[in-house]
Amino acid sequence: MTLPATPRNVIVVAAVLCLLLVVTVWVSLTMGAVHLPWSDVWAALASPGTNSEAAVIVREIRLPRILLAIFVGAALSVAGTGLQALLRNPLADPYVLGISSGGAVGAIFALWIGGRVAAASPLAAFVGAVVTMVWVYLLGRHGGRLASYTLILAGVITASFLSAVILFMLTLLSTRDVRGIAFWLMGDLSVTPVKELRILAPAIILAIAGLYVLAKDLNVLLLGAEEAAHLGVNVVRVELGVYLLASLLTGMAVSASGAIGYLGLLVPHLGRMLVGNDHRMLLPTAALGGAILLVLSDTLARTAVAPAELPVGAVTAMAGAPVFIYLLRKTAG
Amino acid sequence: MVSLAPNITEIVYALGLGDELVGDTDYCDFPPEAKKKPHVGTMVNPSLERIVALKPDLALGTPEANRRETADQLERLGIPLYGVAASTLAGTLASIEDLGRILGRASEARTLVAEMQGRIDRVQKRIAGQPKPKVLFVVWYRPLITIGPGTFIADVIRAAGGAPIGENLKGEWPRLTLEELLPQDPGVILLPKTESFSPSTKEFQSLPGWKDLRAVKEQRMFFVSEAIERPGPRLVDALEEVAGILHPTGP
Repeated sequence: MTLPATPRNVIVVAAVLCLLLVVTVWVSLTMGAVHLPWSDVWAALASPGTNSEAAVIVREIRLPRILLAIFVGAALSVAGTGLQALLRNPLADPYVLGISSGGAVGAIFALWIGGRVAAASPLAAFVGAVVTMVWVYLLGRHGGRLASYTLILAGVITASFLSAVILFMLTLLSTRDVRGIAFWLMGDLSVTPVKELRILAPAIILAIAGLYVLAKDLNVLLLGAEEAAHLGVNVVRVELGVYLLASLLTGMAVSASGAIGYLGLLVPHLGRMLVGNDHRMLLPTAALGGAILLVLSDTLARTAVAPAELPVGAVTAMAGAPVFIYLLRKTAG
Repeated sequence: MVSLAPNITEIVYALGLGDELVGDTDYCDFPPEAKKKPHVGTMVNPSLERIVALKPDLALGTPEANRRETADQLERLGIPLYGVAASTLAGTLASIEDLGRILGRASEARTLVAEMQGRIDRVQKRIAGQPKPKVLFVVWYRPLITIGPGTFIADVIRAAGGAPIGENLKGEWPRLTLEELLPQDPGVILLPKTESFSPSTKEFQSLPGWKDLRAVKEQRMFFVSEAIERPGPRLVDALEEVAGILHPTGP
């Protein structure tokens, strides 16, 4: 279905999704390893002074995770949308280009050198992601420009290589560090404290806004680079801009929550099914849709086998793979 | 208080503080009463919500089983976490005394430790002067993973009069190839008796590489109680068991 991207339509769709997000957040706040009735949750949110266990659970354990899920989900989904448009390839996603593996290598490297994971690794992960982004760009550019085919190849090869590096480094770490990193590599929304979110959230919003500015150009880019150039789009600048912003979004997401897959791949597809290919409509849809889906996945991860927790990356994979197969069959048939 | 590791649960009960334990992990199975306590999850990923809901004054953990992230998260939630670590036999006794001291049961701890030390000393007296057989402790066999020299299990084997294989290996649970193992030719092979790992000795006699080991051919493979894997009060039971295997008394 294609909804024309008039400002009115965009606002309506965004408002509906926001409402859905609020409902999802509310429901998720009531679910967890400890059963809390709605009244307790409301009391915890309404009166910031209370210190009952319910208040601590809701405010200090569940709410930070849900907030982080919103921003990471939005970041990854928007990055995936941008990359799929940039590369004109529906299989493109932040992990295909190796950026998330680079983040993981950065974090493990910091751990190996010494020091506490929580302290050093988010920055190291971000640096790792950015370095990989530059490396893949240099490797995959063709004639001074981003070329979809070579870029994807460069990304896939880099991702494979980095996975091998990760496995190698895991054998060097002491057993207790390996345990910690394993959860991080599978996605963990509980590790990042709220104060880091104060830096992360505005940065993610800014990057998404930056991509939104390029939305019209992204639409034209879908026609093909030559056609876009003929239509007056500064192709080199737009491509670089999208690549940069998508990589930054991925780096920030991975540094905060580890490797969470399938969101960057699937949410753009689902968004396109709902609202069509116009990026002025698709980007906000992907951002809010990704936020909703990651909050739901995290809630499932926290409750499915409580008190044990599934890694959220495992939940997105287990849910995402069948959805992806379904989409594949639908478009093929 | 909440225990985040099975060996700590055993120590808490041994100090007579079982009633003050409001929660423990899914794996805390000794003493049997511990299984009935509210569970907070696994050692590696306990549920913070369950811990908070139990309103503990104190959480007890160990860096060998618990993660730094858990410690950070508990700190943010205002729940004090006290950690004990034991990488040697002496370290295990020291950690019992340590916990006894901070939990207000110092004299019970000292009594328990003195009793444990007494049993250790008796074993050492009995086996003094006897030759030390080379011992392979099998943590897992496909691939072969054994204990590192710095672990408390290696220490127990040494104290029981054996020479654990792997003195030159690094880490806590190093992998050992059969090539490296064959020339070392252990006299005794020990396997922990756990639910998830109980191959039969017959199985080893058909595994390539293993079947050429003297210890397999002469059927000198023994299962030991899983207490050997818990640095707690029952470690001395395990030590006595291993000493009985390596240096049998009687005719």
